[in-house]
Order: sequence, then structure tokens, then C-alpha cells
Amino acid sequence: MKEPSKLRAWFRLFWIFLKVNLLTTAGPTSIGLLYKETVGKIMTEAQFVEAVGFSNLVPGSEALKLAMFIGYSAGGVAGMLAALLGAIIPPTVIMLTVASILIRFQGQDWMKHLVKGITPAVAVLMALVSWQLFRASNPKSIKWQPALLVVLSFVALYIGILPQYVLVGAGILGVILFGNRSFR
Amino acid sequence: MDQLLQLFWVFLKINLLSTSGAASTGLLYNEAVGRFLTEDQFIQAVGLATLLPGSDALQLAMFVGYTVAGIPGGFVSLFAAILPPTILMFALVSVLHRIRREVWVSRFVEGLTPAVAVLILTVAWKVFKSGIGDDFDWRIIGLGAASFIAYRFEVPAPLVILASGIIGTLLFK
Repeated sequence: MKEPSKLRAWFRLFWIFLKVNLLTTAGPTSIGLLYKETVGKIMTEAQFVEAVGFSNLVPGSEALKLAMFIGYSAGGVAGMLAALLGAIIPPTVIMLTVASILIRFQGQDWMKHLVKGITPAVAVLMALVSWQLFRASNPKSIKWQPALLVVLSFVALYIGILPQYVLVGAGILGVILFGNRSFR
Repeated sequence: MDQLLQLFWVFLKINLLSTSGAASTGLLYNEAVGRFLTEDQFIQAVGLATLLPGSDALQLAMFVGYTVAGIPGGFVSLFAAILPPTILMFALVSVLHRIRREVWVSRFVEGLTPAVAVLILTVAWKVFKSGIGDDFDWRIIGLGAASFIAYRFEVPAPLVILASGIIGTLLFK
């Protein structure tokens, strides 16, 4: 990254993760929005794939892992802390408030309606991002290796193999499949 | 004090053994219900964590900790939930940084890309199913189609999501 000023880069990371964690209800659901906010701006598509891939391999809150990985890629250790802070504040502050006013919220219908309204937009965004990622690995025409990996991953997830094994498997297959040609 | 230590240990363990908040609910149920929480409280915790914005793992920790031991309990559990992913991710990121230039790493990532794309698609489907339930109707289709068009026209994604939520509160009355 160019550095206009490091402080601004850190603040930007903080702001991105504050926003993303306010607008989506969990780590996995935030992937679509995160893609829109980061790829092409503070990181490349390949880095984003690494972030999502590795977040699914390492244990613990996915939202935090995404924040840390992206924060580190874009702004080193300080960027990582800024992103982490941004990701931690919304859920904790809101949960503490709600838990202490004890739960007048929960029965309230508008909250459920809001989530229901957000859901189609979040799902469509994720589908679009998924398509964009697939196209990214097939820039010109669709090649057989990625297509094969898509089919295999889909079948594996469908029959209930855990995502972390599917990802490791796909990565290893990638090392083999993409091995016999010179690398860009 | 003993209770705080127990909370710390439970959430440390849960966040070491599962890869996201949603995936941890089964484990949390076994660890917490009957010991810290009643069944009803557990359902409340999961419901709130799903509805409220942000990481489910942190919200579950916060809610359970708070219910068991007040504000100190909330913060101890939160800290225990944050610790495993932070330390592990930090280690991973610094290792990855060192090996990034190896050719096999880029091939690994290239293989990862289609799988991540499929994974995102299946999560999208799950999000859609759990968020909509059985009330799939023209309003959902309308919101979905409208968001699709908005994204195509490069409307910023946070705006689309926010607008869809606000329209939802009006539509689903």
C-alpha cells in the first residue's frame, strides 16, 4: 500500500470492520460485504481468498479471524489491532446493552423484520461474490481444473464433509493440478 | 472467583474446538446447559446472538458470562473467546508472510479459490434458509431482485443492506 499516512490507514481499517460488523449478524454472513469493502481497495482478490480460506481452518470466531487477517495484510500488526477492535466493539457493546436491559428487545417484531429484510440482500451479495471469485480464477475462459474443484467441493460440502477438510483438500489438489504448468 | 475461572475455561475450550460462532452452539449447549444456564436461557442466547449484529461467538460468550456472573463474567468470557483466534491467527499470518513467495503456496491458494467460492455460496444458501424460514414469498423475491439490480449498478453494498433491512421492517408488518 501507498502510505498517505499510517494513522489514516489504521483508522480506515477500524472503520471498515466497525461498519461490516454493524451491518451483518455473524462472521460467515459478513464475507460478501467484506469483499465489497476491501478487494481492490486495500487488498487483492488472492489475499481475500487466503483470508476466507484460513479463517475456516483456524478455530474461533470467524469475524475476528477475518478482521485480523485482512488488517495484517493491509496494515501490519497495528492494522491488525485496529481491525480487531473494529470487529469487537459492535457485538460486545450491543450485547451488553441488550443483556442488561434484559431482553425487552427479543420479542420485538421490528428487530426480526429488519433481519428478515437484510437476509435477501446479504444472500444475493454473497452469491455475487462467490461468482466473482470463481471468475477470478478463470480470467478468460473457464478452465477445467477450477471447474473440477468446484464440482468436488460442492459434492463434498453437500454430503456433509466439514468445510475445513474440503478447503485443505482443494488446496492440496490445487498444488497437484496447477503443478504441471509454469506459474505466471 | 471459581465461577469466573470456569467461564474462562469453557469459552477458551469452545473457541479452540470450533471454527465459528454458529458452529460452536452445539458444543456450548453441552458445556453450559444444566451447569450455567437453563435450556430457555440458552435458546435466548442463541436467538439474540443470531439477530444482533456482529460476531456470534463473542455475543454468546458475553451473554452467557453476563447471565452467570454479571459484568465481570461477561468480560472474562469475552476475553476467553477472543484469545484463541487472535493468538492462532497471529501465528498463522506471520508464518504465511514468510512462505508466501514459495510457488506451492500460490498453487494452494489457486486451488483454494474455487472451494472458497463454493463455500461462500453454500453459506449464502444457509443464511437465506435460516433467515427466511418458511415465509418465502414475493416480498423476499422482490428484495432479492432489487438488491441484485442495485449491486449491478454499483450501489455501495452497506447502503443496499441497510435499505433492504429498513424496507423489510415496513414490508413484513
